[in-house]
Amino acid sequence: MKTTIQKNSKSIIVLIVIAAFLFVAARGMSGKDVVITILRGFSVGSVTFLVAAGFSLIFGLLDVLNLAQGTSYMIGAYVGWTVYVRPDTFVDVLTPLLLILAGFSLSALWKRLASFVHLETKPKKIVAWLLIVVGLVLLGLLLARYPISSWDLNNYAESPISYSYMADQGLRIIPPEATFTEISPELAILGIFATSSLAAFGIALLNREDNQQNNADWRKYVAPAILFIFGILVALFNTQITNWMFTLSTNWLFLIAVAASILSGIGLGALMETTLIRPLYSRPIYQLMLTLGLGTIGVQIVQAVWGRPEFVWPKPELFTGTGGACPATNLTDLIENQCSTIMLLGGRVRVYDEIFIPIVGIIVLILVWTLLKRSRIGMIIRAGVQDRQMVEALGINVRRVFTLVFALGVGLAAFGGALAAPSAGLTSTMGEKLLLSALIALAIGGLTSFPGAALGSLLVGLIQQFMIKYGQIGIPLPFTDTVFKPSPALVPASTVLLMVIILLILPNGLLGKKE
Amino acid sequence: MTTNSNFLTRNRGILIFLAVMLIAPFLVGLMEGSSPATILNNAGSFSRFLEGLAIEIFIWAIFALSFDLLFGITGLLSFGHAMFFAVAAYLTGIALKTLQLPFWQVVLLVLLAAVLQALLFSLVLPRVKGITFTLVSLGFASVFHIIVMSSDMINLTGADVGLQGVPVPAFLNPTNERFRFYVIALVLLVATYIFYRRFVASPTGRVCVAIRENEGRAKMLGYNTTTFKIIAMIISSITASIAGMLHALYQPIISPSVADLGFTVTALLIVLIGGVGSLNGAIVGAFALRLVDFVLRRFVGGSASIITGAIYVVFVLFVPYGIIGTLRLRKLNTKAGWKEVLARITGKP
Repeated sequence: MKTTIQKNSKSIIVLIVIAAFLFVAARGMSGKDVVITILRGFSVGSVTFLVAAGFSLIFGLLDVLNLAQGTSYMIGAYVGWTVYVRPDTFVDVLTPLLLILAGFSLSALWKRLASFVHLETKPKKIVAWLLIVVGLVLLGLLLARYPISSWDLNNYAESPISYSYMADQGLRIIPPEATFTEISPELAILGIFATSSLAAFGIALLNREDNQQNNADWRKYVAPAILFIFGILVALFNTQITNWMFTLSTNWLFLIAVAASILSGIGLGALMETTLIRPLYSRPIYQLMLTLGLGTIGVQIVQAVWGRPEFVWPKPELFTGTGGACPATNLTDLIENQCSTIMLLGGRVRVYDEIFIPIVGIIVLILVWTLLKRSRIGMIIRAGVQDRQMVEALGINVRRVFTLVFALGVGLAAFGGALAAPSAGLTSTMGEKLLLSALIALAIGGLTSFPGAALGSLLVGLIQQFMIKYGQIGIPLPFTDTVFKPSPALVPASTVLLMVIILLILPNGLLGKKE
Repeated sequence: MTTNSNFLTRNRGILIFLAVMLIAPFLVGLMEGSSPATILNNAGSFSRFLEGLAIEIFIWAIFALSFDLLFGITGLLSFGHAMFFAVAAYLTGIALKTLQLPFWQVVLLVLLAAVLQALLFSLVLPRVKGITFTLVSLGFASVFHIIVMSSDMINLTGADVGLQGVPVPAFLNPTNERFRFYVIALVLLVATYIFYRRFVASPTGRVCVAIRENEGRAKMLGYNTTTFKIIAMIISSITASIAGMLHALYQPIISPSVADLGFTVTALLIVLIGGVGSLNGAIVGAFALRLVDFVLRRFVGGSASIITGAIYVVFVLFVPYGIIGTLRLRKLNTKAGWKEVLARITGKP
């Protein structure tokens, strides 16, 4: 026991100093300010934690510094917003997406078919690339003609900002449905499936024949079949599903939106790992540059699709009640009236921003923690973080675990985005800002340590919020009468300074592994 | 590489580049029908525009060179490199506009600031290594970016609009004395390149390469690696500051975007396209990137940066050694290929 304390004496001293600093800071405010500031700190910390946790899992196991994590966060927010505010767009996009996935996920069949093709290496390569290019070009042509009801960035009345505003006012008008005009629906649907299959077949041809023992397992065809059938069903009942989603209560819609953004994050992560990151495991610095580039491209794409201006994601009904007994003073009032604010120790606290987000953050912390500690896959991940080669030597398919962890990490970030957007709004710079906070949190807590990510995020959130609060009330400087008011723009600078100081004392962070 | 070759043969490539770039404005001028005298008087229209584009490329190339010295030669990946550039640019602007110092004092001030920044970075150098250094440097740079963007110093920096209306000394004014500015930027680029080549070939530079390859081994050989890293850092910082100063003099607005991570990524992109660790790659990369970017913006418009990003990803995945690196790898093959072609033409084996 004594040795652990001695080993970590520096970390403990730093923690005590920070705690004392926060305590002094809290003493300088009134009671209700302290409550609000701490709750907001937890809120910001929770969102940062969701991004940082994914980052730390990925870095710990894969040694990949995923700088696209901020962009994943932003994409999660934008996807969630689309599902929540424009369910019709979401339903329209679903069909082609599912069909493309079905085409590509039939890889077992394509590999089997590819093994029947006997060609010299060079012609085979040419044929394969030809198939890929032809497939993708045709797919692109079909998609360009596929009708998707959407917003119009050049027309203010139909821009995302206006739709957000209308949804916020409870005006849920179903926009006119986009119809097939240029191509027949059958051609579009089957064509998308066929062209993506063509491209997938080309990719299967490119792979070397390492699938001699590839026996035809029927289970491999279940997933593509389900995707295909779902795609067709969505296309057939497009209008009904859209109308049904418009009649849903916003609470349910919110849940669907969050689920969709998590799924999109997971899908994006799996896609990134298998196609782009995997070839670069032998060149770590290039992975870093790749994720950086992907992050920038993601921002550009978001700007092209959703536009540059900022807009809001209206909160679900559960958190917007204002009537009668609001702001609520006790729990029953809160639940009965679905108040947007609650009185807590004399301070007026927003339920979604300052109560709901921290609770979700803590739930995710506990869930991921149990996943890591109690499940088999978690055991493999922890073992992999400690010694990857040993795990490989024990005959565990590390590749699959890598993909899984990457998908999980990006999914967590997307979840964070969907959770934060209703309180913070959506801009194309939101990812960048959060990535910086998450990096600082991780550097403070320790890059590969999961509890470190939680602790670092909490510290970053608390310090940021205390600085913002002191920016409002001002810090009386000692020995002078002047009051220093840090502007909100300077707030991130304080956490960066904290990071630099902590890294100078503890190069591995508070809870990081000692070398 | 032969050691007893003289200055001219050693730097043949860059000197040819210098000569070509010096003649180029006059050639372009002749093509659009204006005599060399009009070029010297800064009256040509298209050549003037091309000179402007080239000045931007030279500034980027100097900046990318300084990044290559840190990243490609010494192996220090810094995400705060834009800070050197931005501090110099803002300092030049503020010193000329608000403090109204004479030009030579401004230059001294900028160089002093460059050394000071390098020393600031070297405070953390012995403590943090690898990825942590990247994060710390990113931290420093973002503090500077935040300060520049904040409204607290709006009178000095212009916050998010940028610093405008810098009174440029008359002899360097890029509007009236475009050709002179062009030549100065070109000569600075060539001088920096030659100095860098010399530095990398020197014993000090060799140790820097050794640090990149294997720091532990360099330490075992008795070198104090931190000292060498600091030397590389100071040289790199000064070079980046020169680029920043030129930027401040050339551009009408110093936008705060030169301080953010995106600008460091531009340098990274240039170095990557040209070839990491091959100094001339920085120049090639700057030309390639700026021209591709220019053409894309002309013909594609708003989505040009998506394509630039895609090019970046393709380079990372498929051309990891960049243009120069790949050419060097293929050099022997290319020579053999040329010989074969010649043999076919002449009919001799």
